[in-house]
Amino acid sequence: MSETVPRNTAPSPPRAAGEGSRGFLEEGRKLQRDLVEEYYRNLATAKERGQPVAYMLVGGNLTEIVRSFGYEVVFPEIIGLNCAIKHASLDNIVHAESMGYGLDVCGYVKNDIGLQDLGGSTPFGKVPRPDLLVCSFSGCYIYVKWWEALAESYGAPMTTFDVPYMRSDRPWREDVDYMVSQLWEFVHYLEKATDHSFDMDALRKVLAESRRAEEGWVKWLDAGRLRPSPIEAYFEAIFYMFPINVLRGTARAGDFYDVVNAEVERRVRDGTNPVPEEKFRVLVEGVPPYTHYRTFWDYFRRWGAVSVVATYPKVGGLFDRGFLHDPSRPFESIAEYSLGAYVNQSWEQRRRIIADYVDQYSADAVVIHGIKSCRSFTAGQGDLRDWLIHERNVPTLYVESDHEDPRYFSPAQMRNRLDAFFEALEQRRAAGSLAPGAGR
Amino acid sequence: MSGLVSIEPSVPEPSGPSTSVELSEDFREFTDARTLAEIVRWSREVVSDPGYPTARAWGRSGRGAVGCFPVYTPQEIVHALGLLPVALHGGGENVEISHADAALGSFLCSISKSTLELALTHQLDAFRAVVFPYICDVSRNLEGIFSRLLPTVSTHMLHLPQNFTSAGSVPFLVAEYRRWVEKLEKVSGTRLTDDALRASIETFARQREALAELARLRMNEPWRIDLSEYYLVRRLGGLLPRELHTSLLGRVLEEVRGRQRKRRDAIRLLVVGPFCEQPTLDLINLLEEVGFYVVGDEFLMLHEWCERPPPDDDPLRALARAYVETPRDIGVRRAPSQKGTSIVERVRSAKAESVLFLTAKFCEPALEDVVLYRRGLEKEKIPYLHLEFEERSTAYEQTRLQLETFAESIFFE
Ligand code: SF4
Ligand code: SF4
Repeated sequence: MSETVPRNTAPSPPRAAGEGSRGFLEEGRKLQRDLVEEYYRNLATAKERGQPVAYMLVGGNLTEIVRSFGYEVVFPEIIGLNCAIKHASLDNIVHAESMGYGLDVCGYVKNDIGLQDLGGSTPFGKVPRPDLLVCSFSGCYIYVKWWEALAESYGAPMTTFDVPYMRSDRPWREDVDYMVSQLWEFVHYLEKATDHSFDMDALRKVLAESRRAEEGWVKWLDAGRLRPSPIEAYFEAIFYMFPINVLRGTARAGDFYDVVNAEVERRVRDGTNPVPEEKFRVLVEGVPPYTHYRTFWDYFRRWGAVSVVATYPKVGGLFDRGFLHDPSRPFESIAEYSLGAYVNQSWEQRRRIIADYVDQYSADAVVIHGIKSCRSFTAGQGDLRDWLIHERNVPTLYVESDHEDPRYFSPAQMRNRLDAFFEALEQRRAAGSLAPGAGR
Repeated sequence: MSGLVSIEPSVPEPSGPSTSVELSEDFREFTDARTLAEIVRWSREVVSDPGYPTARAWGRSGRGAVGCFPVYTPQEIVHALGLLPVALHGGGENVEISHADAALGSFLCSISKSTLELALTHQLDAFRAVVFPYICDVSRNLEGIFSRLLPTVSTHMLHLPQNFTSAGSVPFLVAEYRRWVEKLEKVSGTRLTDDALRASIETFARQREALAELARLRMNEPWRIDLSEYYLVRRLGGLLPRELHTSLLGRVLEEVRGRQRKRRDAIRLLVVGPFCEQPTLDLINLLEEVGFYVVGDEFLMLHEWCERPPPDDDPLRALARAYVETPRDIGVRRAPSQKGTSIVERVRSAKAESVLFLTAKFCEPALEDVVLYRRGLEKEKIPYLHLEFEERSTAYEQTRLQLETFAESIFFE
């Protein structure tokens, strides 16, 4: 089956399942909110505390090293998605367009540049200006363009950590050597910039904390293999990506995953799952439409569809595929982790990862959400859909909007597409051609 | 061999507006071409055939051709293995996209779609290998689609480093080139030797020098060679065997230097942005029709990206150093300088009076730079215009109007 199912087929009435389970999002979500608030509070007061500020990208980020030199870290992508969720991105985007940024420029870039030109105030606090711009070139060419623009606007120094594109299952030695030499150069640069000496033993301790958080995160993601799944591996995971990407290396991140894993155990015990009755196990590929994030989620829930696994939560690293920090090999493991950003994987690797996920998580279907202004994630997703349908026999739907720009999300059209897709899946299951949760 | 080459006189007539040009295996059409007009006429034929006739002609005697997606790949390596490096430039205005949209997505530049379309419709069958440098995420991802849909073609996504100051950049790039070399050695059935590579580096250096000579002439005395002539001669540089192209350039330079032409009262223009997808020839012509002299451009950056590689015992390392150390500043290479400053320097060194940003639709690297460039130009009060194009667009009324208005505003300033 494919998205060629009749689009105007009247969808079945919304299920009771569509309302989601009461008490599903509790402790973990609340704690995550507190952590986010605390993070923004810290950002807003960083300059008062005399703390230098580094801007960094999520993919392949060097947060452990930078923090060990006393920097507070801003992730403009995360600020961008938070602005979009709070419906605050459009003003920034329109402002960036008035500055000359074209319609086709990545929404994160426009949100960020518009925001800083408007003074840096967000619904969650003021974002400080950078003292250092660390461009981890891991998976997206636009990172370089974006950081160049920031460097010119702020007059802040920019350093580049070049991460080679992953075209193999395991990292190539030469690539790791290249990154390790860059990491040494980076710490020497930071030593000069901050007048602090680099302490490898201190970094090892921080990496041990990172590892604890990563193992906790992987454990949480693994719960999607259970049937029914006690987690929502896309819509819920989006909240829980925050500690792994932003607070990694601090005890708070590891503690956070202890809390959410305990919550998962309780859910399994009590039968509190993302939907009361799990009907479809879905793999979701692609960046979410943050501007209509809850609406989009509802279009799944009303059909009892749960994402049991997703690729987007791996943008910060493929921890679940063994790319973990290792205190006994600090720089080598930082290099390997950086290679493992999901969008830094070649299409061959991405196809392999997705095929493995479909099997391991017993997914019934794949939904791909393409982003209008993100070529890195999206260019080629149509081919992925074709491959899944024709070569893997996995029902797959491709829908498109934008992560930051609400003008590209059409609720009626999106809902029709998803309704038609799930209805066709339902018919297929009734006809016996879709074994429940059997993946392929 | 095609019927065309059996036609007398020895330089066969181009086959008119046909979209399929059969060249002879020894490229006699070009070796025998005596005048710039003949070279340009054949170039026009070759360029309007989306099936890459020079690759077909080269392949007819069992030799392999390698397609090189823009902007930069070290084509010396391909050449040293006895393969013909052919610069891919998309499908131009002659290709209807019917398959590639579905595979790639809607909001992408035309060159990515037309290149895939050409492959899916067997127009790239003459190529045994295709290389996609990491100039942007589209080029990068395109390799992954090619490798799936065309499993018999050897593909490589060439990771060009983004860190130009690290001691690790050159060794990494050498290793990256070696990975590509291994694939090409299988394609060619020969081993790459240092001597062959050194000879190829020399061949390309001579071609670049001749091209630089032509560029200087064009910059200093633009009336001597029309923009479309200049463009078409350069475009051949990525399509023909390089030795042949260098000898053609010798003939072109001689003829152009001897031309008696009047200088027009035109505005000197720098064209920035079309470093990858190429506008149509009509649009290129239009620039001078409305009153400009293009005295600097980014149309075919392939030839200008790297200077002559520095002397080095290891020729592969020489090529890697040439990439890492080049001071070139274009949209798909991390700027070694501030964009705003570098554009002003480029305007000054080309003695240009104005800038046209001619960016391919959906080409994000080019689009993002425009904002920074504009700031630099505004500070220095250098007039500029930004236009978007698509390789397939053929309606220019609006573009003509914008260009004319731009020219007038400068004339009457
Ligand atoms: S990966 Fe996509 S969304 Fe993220 S910065 Fe790059 S273009 Fe923007
Ligand atoms: S035209 Fe621009 S976006 Fe398209 S492949 Fe070329 S550089 Fe990339």
